[in-house]
Amino acid sequence: MRRAPEPLEPDPVIEAYKRDVDRTLLRENLKRSVEERIEALVRALDMVQEFRRAGQRLRR
Amino acid sequence: MTDFKTVVRTLADGGVEFIVVGGFAAVVHGSARVTFDVDVVYRRSTENIARLVLALTPYHPYLRGAPPGLPFRWDAATVQHGLNFTLKTDIGDIDLLGEITAGGAYENLLADSSVIHVYGVDCRCLDLETLISVKRATGRPKDLEAIAELEALLEEHRRLEGR
Repeated sequence: MRRAPEPLEPDPVIEAYKRDVDRTLLRENLKRSVEERIEALVRALDMVQEFRRAGQRLRR
Repeated sequence: MTDFKTVVRTLADGGVEFIVVGGFAAVVHGSARVTFDVDVVYRRSTENIARLVLALTPYHPYLRGAPPGLPFRWDAATVQHGLNFTLKTDIGDIDLLGEITAGGAYENLLADSSVIHVYGVDCRCLDLETLISVKRATGRPKDLEAIAELEALLEEHRRLEGR
């Protein structure tokens, strides 16, 4: 059986970091299905790899 | 690059009892951060370890970051004698965790996980609240941004649910 989650006490350090979170990205993700979220991650990783390869070519 | 779809399907189709945790669980919940591996907490029963070993064997698991040639045998005895394994496989990087800080083992986390249906299979994913608690308890400075995002995500979830 699922436990009722215990409320989290606000942490001032985390609250400070929270101000910089881009919530528009989160809201867009929440409109997506789980599979769509994973596919978005895969596309982002493809881009990261492409940039890494470009960086390696630049250093050669 | 990790083939997330194949990792999830391989474990689920193999009948492995596991809970997705870490960055990949965060993505499942809607995180916009990038993660490169799949972290799972697996049940450390003899039967489940046998299923886990069988499921991953075709993908040649090896200790990530270990020097080539280091003797590593991927079998049930190895998993029984160890606990947490950071593996490189043909389908990507997989962290197999027997337990996690502030979360414990599979049995402890079961009530704090939910079944998600993804890529045609059912698998368990750690709930967002617990993901946050675990990351907070780990206390790594590098996690602060991730925790902040997860807490913002939790607020967004609650806003959508009208809580």
